[in-house]
Amino acid sequence: MEDKKEELAKTSGDNDPRIIAFVCNWCTYSGADLAGTSRMKYADNVRVIKLPCSGRIDPMFIVEAFKKGAKGVLISGCHPGDCHYISGNYHSRRKYAIFRNLLGFLGVDLNRVEFSWVSASEGNKWVHIINEFTDKIKSLKNGSNDIFKK
Amino acid sequence: MANIDEKLQKIARDLLESKEVSLIIGYTGGSHPQRMRPVFITKPEDVGRLSFNRHSVQDLAVFLKKQEVKKFGRIGIVVKGCDEKALNVLMQEYQVSRENIKIIGVECNGVIRQDLADKGETDLSENTVYDKCLMCGEHTPILHDYLIECADPQISMSGDIKPFAKIEELDSMSSEEKDVFWEKEFDKCIKCYACRQACPLCYCSRCIVEKNVPQWIDTNFGKIGNAQWNLIRAYHLAGRCIGCGECERACPVNIPLMLINGKMARSIHDLFGYKSGLDVDAKPVFGVFSESDFNDFIK
Repeated sequence: MEDKKEELAKTSGDNDPRIIAFVCNWCTYSGADLAGTSRMKYADNVRVIKLPCSGRIDPMFIVEAFKKGAKGVLISGCHPGDCHYISGNYHSRRKYAIFRNLLGFLGVDLNRVEFSWVSASEGNKWVHIINEFTDKIKSLKNGSNDIFKK
Repeated sequence: MANIDEKLQKIARDLLESKEVSLIIGYTGGSHPQRMRPVFITKPEDVGRLSFNRHSVQDLAVFLKKQEVKKFGRIGIVVKGCDEKALNVLMQEYQVSRENIKIIGVECNGVIRQDLADKGETDLSENTVYDKCLMCGEHTPILHDYLIECADPQISMSGDIKPFAKIEELDSMSSEEKDVFWEKEFDKCIKCYACRQACPLCYCSRCIVEKNVPQWIDTNFGKIGNAQWNLIRAYHLAGRCIGCGECERACPVNIPLMLINGKMARSIHDLFGYKSGLDVDAKPVFGVFSESDFNDFIK
């Protein structure tokens, strides 16, 4: 199990950085699904992990993904006002505004963490975000050192 | 000084004799004249041990989370302004109820840093107090049932010393430089969890670091485990930390934990206009949200 997780997150080379996307079940996952069923092409560096709601995405998950070797982490959920559980994304927005500051203060390159709102109909936006984020991660310096590097 | 002690002892004696409380948590003289230590008084005849002075650095609210103390039911506690903010957060989070606590507030114009006091420092000045005292806005406890006036004069500020100047310095660094700084600091961590034990607001009966299915935080003191622990500790206190500085004081290897806590408090104030511990009726900052919250970082 542990090995599998490690395998999932590990970046095989600098040209093939692994990106973990934590997405909510109701909007972003459906959006990504739409991109897939519409046969849109996008960077295959991303591994999607589906959760019930962006409010379920504990900051520990980000830390865990970095620890396991991911180069970038994307958090994505429903647009404000669209949450399936009414307010999950509002709560997560508050949490992440602060958590992001904390990561930055402790010396993590904030280019490696991305947040987005993607609705079920925004397959295009999903493709755009993944491609852009992948390019950004690829352009980072190889030795981008931080507290999670072993 | 003796005046304060007398008043303190009279209040404590009255409270214990009238059976309004069954325990008083306060300060008493420690192992040498520049040290105070916590004391637990249950009998009226023992109140003579109670004392308070500029060396009373501990935040006694930390004991309210302990089962051994909780079983006393109604408790009297001696607090400074900063310690009382911890009480407010505990009440806000339904950890203690106001009816069970008699707050003996002591006005305080600063406490002397323990490391300096151990070397014999007795003067109260901007060079000898904790950074939190320089920024203190609550010299008088916000809530109190009894109030004892301050014997110490207010500290005169020359303006040369900027409390927590290191936060701004770190903010202006690049992420590599910050990483170098924190790597060096976290490298010292021995995972003793003294920061957690000394914190009045770390009251979970089972801390995340002790949960092992799944194991979120590496318990060894390797680089990643140390970083994870310090990161998560700070995050769990974000919006709750009242800045009493007990974690940093308790740290045996002197990691500047108050820099992280201070940064979190500033971020929360900047983004949500919230300061913890000031209003006992306010909702915790992460318990509520606003539709117009900061959204710039989200695509």
